[in-house]
Amino acid sequence: MRRRSWLAAPFILWSAAFIIIPLLLIVYFGMTDGDGAFTWSNLAAMAEVDNLKALGLALLLSLSATLICLILAYPIAMILAERRTSSGTLIAMLFILPMWMNFLLRTMAWQTLLEKNGVINTLLHVLRLPSVTLIYTPSAVVLGMVYNFLPFMILPLYTVLSKIDRDVLLAARDLGAGPWQTFLRITLPLSTPGMISGITMVFVPSLTTFVITDMLGGGKVQLIGNTIEQEFIQGSSWHVGSGLSLILMIFVLISMAFVAKYDPQQSGSLIGGGGRE
Amino acid sequence: MNRKSIQTAKRLYTVLLILFMYAPIFAMIALSFNASKFRAVWGGFTLDWYQRLIHDHVILSAFYNTILIALIASILATLIGTLAALGISVLPSRSRTASLAVANIPMLNADIVTGISLMLLFIACRIKLGFASVLIAHITFDIPFVILSVLPKLKQSRQRTYEAALDLGADSWQAFWRIIFPDILPGILSGFMLAFTMSIDDFIITHFTKGPGVDTLSTCIYSEVRKGIRPEMYALSTLLFVLVLLLLILINYQPAKGNRKGVKRLVLSRVVPGALILSFLVFALFYARNDTAAAGQGQVIVYNWGEYLDPDVVAQFEEETGIHVVYEEYETNEIMYPKIASGAIAYDAVCPSEYMVQRMIDEDLLYAFDAKDLPQSGNIGDRYWKISGSIDPENRYFVPYYWGTVGILYNKSKVKEPVDSWSILWDKKYKGEILMQNSVRDALGITLKYLGYSLNSTDLDELHEARDMLIRQKPLVQAYVVDQVRDMMIGNEAALAVIYSGEAHVSQAANPDLAYAIPKEGSNVWMDGWVIPKNAKNKDNAKKWISFLCRPDIAKKNFEYITYSVTNEKVRDLVDDPVLKNSPILWSTDEELTDLETFRYLGKENTDLYNRLWRDIKSH
Repeated sequence: MRRRSWLAAPFILWSAAFIIIPLLLIVYFGMTDGDGAFTWSNLAAMAEVDNLKALGLALLLSLSATLICLILAYPIAMILAERRTSSGTLIAMLFILPMWMNFLLRTMAWQTLLEKNGVINTLLHVLRLPSVTLIYTPSAVVLGMVYNFLPFMILPLYTVLSKIDRDVLLAARDLGAGPWQTFLRITLPLSTPGMISGITMVFVPSLTTFVITDMLGGGKVQLIGNTIEQEFIQGSSWHVGSGLSLILMIFVLISMAFVAKYDPQQSGSLIGGGGRE
Repeated sequence: MNRKSIQTAKRLYTVLLILFMYAPIFAMIALSFNASKFRAVWGGFTLDWYQRLIHDHVILSAFYNTILIALIASILATLIGTLAALGISVLPSRSRTASLAVANIPMLNADIVTGISLMLLFIACRIKLGFASVLIAHITFDIPFVILSVLPKLKQSRQRTYEAALDLGADSWQAFWRIIFPDILPGILSGFMLAFTMSIDDFIITHFTKGPGVDTLSTCIYSEVRKGIRPEMYALSTLLFVLVLLLLILINYQPAKGNRKGVKRLVLSRVVPGALILSFLVFALFYARNDTAAAGQGQVIVYNWGEYLDPDVVAQFEEETGIHVVYEEYETNEIMYPKIASGAIAYDAVCPSEYMVQRMIDEDLLYAFDAKDLPQSGNIGDRYWKISGSIDPENRYFVPYYWGTVGILYNKSKVKEPVDSWSILWDKKYKGEILMQNSVRDALGITLKYLGYSLNSTDLDELHEARDMLIRQKPLVQAYVVDQVRDMMIGNEAALAVIYSGEAHVSQAANPDLAYAIPKEGSNVWMDGWVIPKNAKNKDNAKKWISFLCRPDIAKKNFEYITYSVTNEKVRDLVDDPVLKNSPILWSTDEELTDLETFRYLGKENTDLYNRLWRDIKSH
């Protein structure tokens, strides 16, 4: 059995070349200035007021999006897991399917729906209801995050929930637990790995997004992802951009530590190998 | 609540959530049948876009690249990832945790960081940015998804049976194939599917790692955002959606009980999807053949703004000269600049804006070729050479091609008063009805002009004053936009917008309520044109290319395609369309031009200062 471990060699080489070294390059850029001299100033840039604000807002919006995703996804994952037939998997697949449509097109389509004269407001108008300002607000950005990353919450939850042994649930019932109690004492704890992995899979991309903010925030919402993107793309400084990315990586590391602590077996990974046993 | 109503509630919830996921997709499908080219206007039902799609080489080859990259990347990633899972599972626990942590990095890291870090690596190692670099990047972020879906299956596989098989005399290879492999196969397949999905959906990482001539659907769409998405794109997406939905339903097809293993099921759930996928790939491959044109007279690598040339012009150039054109697009000067400066790719002809040209001249990145002496340079009006002379005094580097102004586009049904001053953008009456440009120089530039300063000001007091003005304006602004201005003004989403003249013309042509004005305080005149980087490999071909574009008939084609003002003085006589010929926005007199100012590159420190002020405004 031990001999099998060399099978990981291609992966180790690949990750050394294309994961570790590129990361070290970011570290190098983040810790040097334009002349290649060592500096802390790129990292310290995060402490500037506008960057702190952007980080704070990004944390607020991505935490809200994560929470909303969890609240929306948990019931649907339970409903799907209950079915325990291939129709459950089919419906779960229906939630991945939109990802085959281009991400930019889908987000842009939301503009068509949310605009002042967009589909939703036109409908409200037809129903003689007052129109609402939906687009170019922080809420629209949260909506975009929820929309784009909801599948990442549904799938791991569905995977762990469908693995829960029905006999355990029945035993709890037999022993006198009500449905609410069964949920709190059995289902919820057993689904923790899925929750944790769902939370990280939604939280991290939401925290760092810039495309969603650009399209649905109308440039009025400045998140830390936008700041980093501007540092790289609008020609200011790759060094400051790298420095800010390094700070952002701290949050990624925290998420990874979370996963390692609550889900050491990776059993709640995104798809967990397709669900039912 | 009784059982039945609980069931109904569950159904309702599922349906609602699915509706939420598919609402924008329905909107996309609707747009694919929209006769109007503009997102904001419903022009009636049409199938035109589907017909045009078949002949749209750009979209189809991007589509082909998307599929090919996703397919190769996910196959290789599945291979490496599955082997890795097999290896990792028997590692001692500490190295297992470490490997898993590494595997997690690309999945959890911000896409922008992954993309940029890979780009830095490729540039540092002088790996050419192109198909291969995109492929490497995709494999890199695909592998973790495979590992993480194979590992749990491996853990559940029948280890005891495996060992029993070994004891009974099977060699380890046989035992693996017969016992472990069938157990982990579902994990491998779903890992593959997930990797494929991720590849198809990726934009950011591809964006940073791609090179000339390689476009996937995402990057193609992103470059189209500038001029508005072509509805053919919606048509393609609709077809793709229908195909995938069909596959999904067929593969999961379950006939009535008793017939489970029947031929019907086999045909419907295996043979038909297989045939569909196969014909799809053949179709894609068929289009790929057109992709490899023969290079007789060598090539010229062109780096241009997105949607800046009539695609026919490229084909015509290839036909007339036998020179193969490798065509690559960018969205902003600032994306283009580092690629030239790093020398990662040797472009032959590039089309930057004047302030960027000045910076590139200062940094000695450009090749001097006496721009005025090209065979067709004489068609370019003297007043434009004069403007470009402000950054290239002897006209040695830069051939001005397009130009335009920045002004206010307003909706006459919403704005009753005359528009002649930037001050209207600070009028509280128009709260929520104002669109500003989401760009540092444009936003600060017009504010500086309004205050009576130069739009190249580096005076700290002036700049702070402008910043405070913009912060005061922010509550009145509906959105800071770049590309969407046009669609939004056409759709009556706002009353006033800061806009480039070329976009103003297009909007006005689509919505007659719109009008354009250049405020009396003055504004910006911009100029984009052709330069040859110093490290270009095909300088002679680049000159031929530039000269070709300056030919009046070619310039006319481009003008009609993008409807931006051109520097070519012979074009106006050739244009037939009276709307284009007589547009007051697209042509202007010497006097109108003299009041306007061009942007200049202000040096690194001032650029940083501008960016900092802009962040102050945006995060306020």
